Amino acid sequence: MKKLLLPLTLLTAMTGSAMAAGNDVKVGVLLGFTGPIESLTPDMANSAELAFKEASDSSLLLGGKKIVPVRADSTCVDSAAATAAGERLISSEGVAAIYGADCSGVTGAVAKNVAVPNGVVMISPSATSPGLSTIKDNGFFFRTSPSDARQGQVLAAVLKSRGIKDVAVTYTNNDYGKGLADSFNNAFKAVGGKVSITAAHEDGKADYSAEVGALSAAGSKHLAVFGYLDQGGKGIIQASLDSGAFENFVLADGMIGDSLIKAIGKDLTGTVGTVPGGASKGAATYSDMAGKAGIKKDGPYVGESYDAGALIVLAMQAAGSADRAAIQSKIMMVANAPGEKIMPGEIAKGLKILAGGGDIDYVGATNVEFNEVGEVLGSFKEVEVKGGKFATIKIY
Amino acid sequence: MHSWGGRAVLTDVFDALILLSNFVIIPVLTYGSQLALGALGITLIYGILRFANFAHGDLMAFGTMVTVLMTWWLQSIGVGLGPLPTALLALPVAIAITIVMVLFIDKSVFKFYRRKRSAPALFVIASIGVMFVLNGIVRFIIGPNDQRFSDGERFIIKARAFKQMTGLNEGLAIKVSQGLTISIAFLLVVALFWFLQRTRTGKAMRAYSDNEDLALLSGINPERVVMVTWIITATLATIAGTLYGLDKSFKPFTYFQLLLPLFAAAIVGGIGNPLGAILGGYVVAFSEVSITYAYKKFLKYLVPENWEPDGLVQFLSTDYKFAVSFIILVLVLLIRPTGILRGRVI
Amino acid sequence: MSNAQRSALSFAVMAALLMVVGFSQSWPLMLTILNLCLISAVMALGVNIQWGYAGLFNVGTMGFAALGGVAAVLVSKAPVPEAWAAGGSNLFMGALLFALTVAATVVAYRRIPKGPLRVLALSGIIIIGIIATRYFFDPAIADIEAVNPAVTGYLGGLGLPILFSWAAGGLFAAGAAWIIGKITLGLRSDYLAIATLGISEIIIALLKNEDWLTRGVKNVAGLSRPVPYEVDLQKSDWFIGGTEWLNSSALEGLAASDRADLLSNLVIQHSGVFVKLGYAGLFTVVLVVVLGMSVMALNSPWGRMMRAIRDNEVSAAAMGKDVTGRRLQVFIVGSAVVGIAGAMLTTLDGQLTPGSYNPLRFTFLIWVMVIVGGSGNNLGSVLGGFLIWFIWIEAEPVGVWLIDFATSWMDDTSPLRLHLMDSAQHMRLFMMGLVLLLVMRFNPGGILPEVTKARAQ
Repeated sequence: MKKLLLPLTLLTAMTGSAMAAGNDVKVGVLLGFTGPIESLTPDMANSAELAFKEASDSSLLLGGKKIVPVRADSTCVDSAAATAAGERLISSEGVAAIYGADCSGVTGAVAKNVAVPNGVVMISPSATSPGLSTIKDNGFFFRTSPSDARQGQVLAAVLKSRGIKDVAVTYTNNDYGKGLADSFNNAFKAVGGKVSITAAHEDGKADYSAEVGALSAAGSKHLAVFGYLDQGGKGIIQASLDSGAFENFVLADGMIGDSLIKAIGKDLTGTVGTVPGGASKGAATYSDMAGKAGIKKDGPYVGESYDAGALIVLAMQAAGSADRAAIQSKIMMVANAPGEKIMPGEIAKGLKILAGGGDIDYVGATNVEFNEVGEVLGSFKEVEVKGGKFATIKIY
Repeated sequence: MHSWGGRAVLTDVFDALILLSNFVIIPVLTYGSQLALGALGITLIYGILRFANFAHGDLMAFGTMVTVLMTWWLQSIGVGLGPLPTALLALPVAIAITIVMVLFIDKSVFKFYRRKRSAPALFVIASIGVMFVLNGIVRFIIGPNDQRFSDGERFIIKARAFKQMTGLNEGLAIKVSQGLTISIAFLLVVALFWFLQRTRTGKAMRAYSDNEDLALLSGINPERVVMVTWIITATLATIAGTLYGLDKSFKPFTYFQLLLPLFAAAIVGGIGNPLGAILGGYVVAFSEVSITYAYKKFLKYLVPENWEPDGLVQFLSTDYKFAVSFIILVLVLLIRPTGILRGRVI
Repeated sequence: MSNAQRSALSFAVMAALLMVVGFSQSWPLMLTILNLCLISAVMALGVNIQWGYAGLFNVGTMGFAALGGVAAVLVSKAPVPEAWAAGGSNLFMGALLFALTVAATVVAYRRIPKGPLRVLALSGIIIIGIIATRYFFDPAIADIEAVNPAVTGYLGGLGLPILFSWAAGGLFAAGAAWIIGKITLGLRSDYLAIATLGISEIIIALLKNEDWLTRGVKNVAGLSRPVPYEVDLQKSDWFIGGTEWLNSSALEGLAASDRADLLSNLVIQHSGVFVKLGYAGLFTVVLVVVLGMSVMALNSPWGRMMRAIRDNEVSAAAMGKDVTGRRLQVFIVGSAVVGIAGAMLTTLDGQLTPGSYNPLRFTFLIWVMVIVGGSGNNLGSVLGGFLIWFIWIEAEPVGVWLIDFATSWMDDTSPLRLHLMDSAQHMRLFMMGLVLLLVMRFNPGGILPEVTKARAQ
């Protein structure tokens, strides 16, 4: 028995140590390059890789090491395929950490079945299900997007302050949409609002006339859309405007982006919404950078992606090695106060401070600050469409 | 508003009718036309080649992809059709390329099984293989994203303008793409029926569909019939896909999902029967929309004030919209498997 | 080459492929793929029982696999007492009324002679029944779903060990198959395909939207496991000790700190391998049992009768065989096997995600396995399950590698090369279709064709 197992275990040990060799450090990029959010993921991946490139180009990372991103397909929906992809990244590619996954379902599966058991840090830019707060992650799972539970409350408060008392709600039929709709409905009722109808819509269908018909029949003047701006959510808004069903919209984070305004036009003026983020300075800096790099800067979760990538390299630097466990031990330190504040584009500065033994507080594009379970607390911006742009009204 | 005075009642009735037209009738006609054109392709293949073609949704995606690429090229050199979408100009080329593609698929895949006279199930499984391959090709070339290619005017009439014009409470909107879809579908159907009823080839196709052996005896060339069928199917699929894409948007995954409502339409109407496919398209579209529509506002216009319903008066939540066509499909298969109009004939 | 040699050779090639992954990529990855290969093989066996034995064109595999997944939740999750308290009594009343409605419908259908009266009576019963049932069901569902929706919002399960759910998954699928078979098996083959495809979509729609039962699209995470957790293993002395013993030679002669580092690394890696081997062992047991029973059934008089019905329905009926009854039987058995595999898959994932069931992955891919492996041949289905899952997973890295190789002469920033590299993931679908078409064309019986008396000689 021992003879049989020995070669096996030795080989695993070899692949495990292979990651330290050479001048390259591999980091996994695990996103749904195929499947329902395949249209969002390229920008997210490019955005995280932008942070990696910044660190590599600085020649400061661990004394001049380069980050080599290794992409793998999470499919967004197929937990089995995502687990296999995660397994490949960890055991075969020997990545030091994983940026990803994206959809809450597969993220939970990869975290529990692969990342946590192997002691590999996972930072998701977009898994927002409240259920992920309570998974047993041994401190290895982080996310740079706030849980949906919080956004529902903020959005309800925004509507209350604007005197909107009666809305129809439509959500994309997945854990993000449903979770957000649940939390918003409860919060809105608690502040005295009325939800006249709550109806799901499926992404990736082109015809939303039935949904819009049912939603408008309930008689509300405002329609809250919890979906994705290049998916069903856009279709719902388009169909609502086309048929004259609704003219006023309330949007959540997945819907906020300039491409929506570009696609819909001036009819969107007056639309309100909430989006994670607070320090608008970081966000603006990031927008410029992303624009230059050819990334859709307002796409959902691109800022979060950049931050997730940045945290991985900064923690690596703080740990002084690309060792998996060491990275984990430093994430909180680089993300949270105290320390010198680090904005997007300042990764080199952060690396330098850390190399000198200093402390940093990464702020990034989305104002990152982790709580004790490794989630951003989430400050939210209230935004309104004014003059063809999402203008920030107030920070919550 | 709800007094029983003459004029007010009339306004209420009009409002109710416009409300229903705007949210049920116009969308149903558009969506129904798109389904009908797709289902026609499925039904023709079933009538002539005698199998359920699972690759049809992705064939529509392929044809539309070519249209989109051509449209972009035309737009880039500044050629357009004014108020009408440029895609119409790109269509003929796209149809030609799609025809070449299906003929190639037929020659390399289906002909083999036809010669061996394989069981229908084998054809279906082969079409699943074609579905995978087309799926891959389309994503490979144009990517998985949403693509916009519509241009020109958007509306024939806008909801707000309609309200101002008529003074009613409810507005009616008709998009250019809706008008185009309905009229092109109508013209195509007329042309197809003229072809099937009046031309020699069309008659041969009907004879072949009715009774293959008899048709062969009377000297009909089966390969020619099959070729014409594929050509018509590719034409219909490209046009249906393009109209669908113009009305909504082009995304490969959406077209794969269309396969199921398309089957529902073809079978509900009576598979193999072109008239049935058209009827089926509208029946599926109508039931999807009407069963999940909330009639509260509609009834509010029609009943006296204090009779207003509390609930939404919705038979089924929109969550199950997708399932509606399958429920109808399963019911039809159980109660009248030949469909509303007797299927399996052309 | 005899059939036995052919099978042996094919499985040897498959094993070699897995070894290549082990050596060139990693052993844990190989085990991950292997586990899913085992599940796929069981699922393919289920489809083969229906298609290969009896010629039933069931394209509803996804629905039965999903029902198996539901079983995993309902068996293993702890019950949610608050939800039961909130909606239990109304739910019970609703269920009672629903049962009464069904019973009354059946009685009315049997007792009242065909005609307008029956139509009237049936519609009356059904409409009143639905209204009465919903009168209790609707508030029950609203109450249950209101119980802490972010974490529960559903009834929970029985809190039993998850291994029981594999059997339960089979039973769930069998029950559903009985109902579905009763209504659809009279249909012609391609109609049956479309009907089952539609029904499987309806099943998924139910799972996605009936939150009180399955949490719907909010998913049920954190299912219990039949094997230990890696993190627990990493803390237990016996496991650390075992790892030390296994690797004593590698650990020898290292400095204390290096030794501790290497040991902790090894413990982490070994725990992963240990858990995967545990799953593999359990899945292998199921596969062997199902395979053994399938082989026995196929070679029994029952199996011969099934093939007779498949090959010539009319003469089988003329010989006095109960064609409809036998078909129902085989439909139920095959679906039950798919249900078991579905429960195993959900167990391995550790969560139920109703939104993740799509027909490409859970129906058509399984069909590709059966056809490529060799329909009618049990070993063929097992091989197909292994091979196709292997290609499905490895198509991505191989696709990237191929494109990288094919475009290596281009400039690194050439837009065409970048576009193709970005599209490499879509190779998976393309390759799958190509494999299916090529096998069907040039090797129509599949890799291991059906063994018949005539061919065996």
